Order: sequence, then C-alpha cells, then structure tokens
Amino acid sequence: MIPLSHFLIVGALLFSIAVAGIFLNRKNMIILLMCIELMLLAVNLNFIAFSHYLGDMAGQVFVFFILTVAAAEAAIGLAILVTVFRNRRTINVQELDDMKG
Amino acid sequence: MLAEYLPVLVFLSVGFAMAILMLLLGSLLSPRRPGEAKDSPFECGFEAFGDARMKFDVRYYLVAILFIIFDLEIAFLFPWAVVLDKIGLFGLIAMGIFLGILIIGFIYEWKKGALEWE
Amino acid sequence: MTFELFIFYVFSAVTLFSAVGVVTARNPVYAALFLILAFFTSAATWVLLEAEFLGVVLVLVYVGAVMVLFLFVIMMLDINIDTLKEGFTRYMPIGILVAVAVAAEMILVMKSKTFDRPIPEAAPLDSSNTEAIGEILYTEYVYPFEIAAVILVVAIIAAIALTLRRREGVKKQDQGAQIRTRKEDRLRIVKMKTEAKQGER
Repeated sequence: MIPLSHFLIVGALLFSIAVAGIFLNRKNMIILLMCIELMLLAVNLNFIAFSHYLGDMAGQVFVFFILTVAAAEAAIGLAILVTVFRNRRTINVQELDDMKG
Repeated sequence: MLAEYLPVLVFLSVGFAMAILMLLLGSLLSPRRPGEAKDSPFECGFEAFGDARMKFDVRYYLVAILFIIFDLEIAFLFPWAVVLDKIGLFGLIAMGIFLGILIIGFIYEWKKGALEWE
Repeated sequence: MTFELFIFYVFSAVTLFSAVGVVTARNPVYAALFLILAFFTSAATWVLLEAEFLGVVLVLVYVGAVMVLFLFVIMMLDINIDTLKEGFTRYMPIGILVAVAVAAEMILVMKSKTFDRPIPEAAPLDSSNTEAIGEILYTEYVYPFEIAAVILVVAIIAAIALTLRRREGVKKQDQGAQIRTRKEDRLRIVKMKTEAKQGER
C-alpha cells in the first residue's frame, strides 16, 4: 500500500517544478498561466491525499471548489491575455511595463 | 474498490501499447529518402509565403469560455442528482438558487449578443 | 512492492515528466499537450486515492475544456516563439536553485513522523464517492456552493466584457425580423387608371 508521504512528495515536486517554470519562462505569459495550473494541481493532490488518509470528505469538496475557481481564473486570465495582445501585439511580460492612468 | 478499475487500466495500457507499436512499426518499416524538394513546404506550386500557423478568430474563444462555465455547472449537477432523495427540499432549493444565479449570467450573455455568430 | 504502489510510481513519474515538459517545451502547443498529459495522469492518481468523481471532473473540465481554451489562445495569437524563450538559460541556475530549495524543505517536513498516518481501509464496494461528496456539498457547504455560482457568473461577464467586439458593417440575416414581417410592410398596392396599349389608337 502507498504511504501518505509518497503523495505529498509528488505534490511537493510538482509544485517546485511549477515554481522553476515561473522563473524560467518569465517572458511568456501563456506558460506562466500553465505553471499556475500546475501549482493548483499539486495543491489539489495534497488535499485529496489528506482527505483520503484522514477520512474527511471536506478535502474533496474543497478540491471541487478549487477546480471551479481555477477554471474561472483561467478563463478570465486568458481573456485579459487576448485583450493585451490585441492592444499591444505582444505577450512578453517585460514589455508590459507601463500603466495608463 | 480499486480492483473494479482494473479493466480501465488494462484498456489504457493496451491503448498506449497499440499506439506506440504502430508508431514504432511505421518508423521502422517505412522507406525514408528525404530530399530538398520533399522537405520544402508545399504551397500549391508557389514558393511558400506566409506563416504555416493560421490565426483563429476571437469568437471561437468566447464560445470556448462559455462552454467551460456551463461544463462546470453540469459537473455540479451530477452529485446533486445522485443524492437528491437524501437531501430533499433543501437541496432542491439550493440548486434552484445556484441555477437561478447562472441563468442571470446566461440572460446577460444572450442579451449582449455573445451567442450570435455574425 | 505491491501492484498498487507500482501503478502509483508509473503515473507519478509520467506526471512529473510531463510537468518538466510544460516548463521546458520550446513550442507553447507542446507545453499545452504536456499539461494535458499531466492532468490525465493526475486524474489516475486521484482514482488511486478513491476520489473517482474528482478524477472524472478533472478530465472533463480541464482536459475537455480548459486546455481547449489554452490551445485556442495559443493558436489565436501569432507569437514569435524565439524572443519569448530569451533568458531561458540565464535564469536556469536560479530557477533550479529555488525549485530544489522549495522541494527539499517540503520533503524534509513531510518525512517527519507527523505525516506518518496509517493506511485507511479501502471503501466498501457499494459506497459511492459521488454520493459522499453530494451529501455534504449541498447541505454543509451550501453557502460556498452558491458563491461558486456567483464566481461563474463573474467569469461569464468578465469574458464577455473583455473579448466581445461588435463589428461594423457586417451583413447578416435576422431570422426574427424576417418572420415578423407582414404583408403590409413589403407590399404596396397602387391604384392606377387603365392605360391604352401603345401603338393602338
């Protein structure tokens, strides 16, 4: 059988790969959004592992809400991305450095 | 409990094995004689002009977003349908409010003309 | 090593491999496809944890809808890939350093005795994960559940406000107007006097 720490270590590794991805792909906004999705996946894995090992369904309900919020976040994030690209013709994060106020 | 998923696992592994086998056989058995003319992009007799990637229209994107929202709404309906006889009237009212809020969004997008394909 | 543990290792290895693929792929389309693989194998891991319903939802909502959205956006923007990959090697050392530090800290914590929990008994055959979620989702967590609806409505309105553009001068059919037309709108009956045929007199 699988000990709890195995799942937690997989989640930790997944999270740190996503953190490294944010450092490495700091120019491409799409990949940054994908790295955020990976982080949420790692968090969800931890929630489900704890929910299973503690026998508490609340963890799974929480994961369901995280999935909902993450889908809404991805939809709005990509909508902002599309609008930024339409106005500036770039999604390079470093070029998006001026504010219009 | 998990033993019930064994057929799914067998199905997955057979599917993967078949796909890998087909690709492997194709790459091993097929003759490969690349040439300059063969490797060049084919553009109907012309010299290639423009990018191979075609831009999609933004309207597809809006449809995909609205699909996500209603996909999630349906995902919330599944557990509700399974336990409706246990949670009774309270669950019915809860889901009624949930759907009512989403219908407001639906009416908004309808009136805005987001569903129209001009 | 039990068979279950073996399955767990296979799926986690594929998940981590595809996560590395997402981070390092040159082409954003490949990154999106790697992310799909990561979601899919994670769903398998969730099924191992007896969270079948969430595994199915992950495949349905994420692989089926969110990743399609990502691919649409990648295809919609004609991005110059080379300039976006600039600085990849420059930030490589610090990126890996931070990742290793984060992973090492977390793993050291998780190796402690606190997380050494006994393995729970497998759920009985006739129990349903979907039912167990539903029983508390619509009763105990009814308020967050309604908030989820509000969040979805916010997402609808934000997406429409950000991306919907009316086009000028589009010629299109309006079926409603076509059906609503009456005879009087189109047809005009004009009274005229009879005229003699030309050339006849």
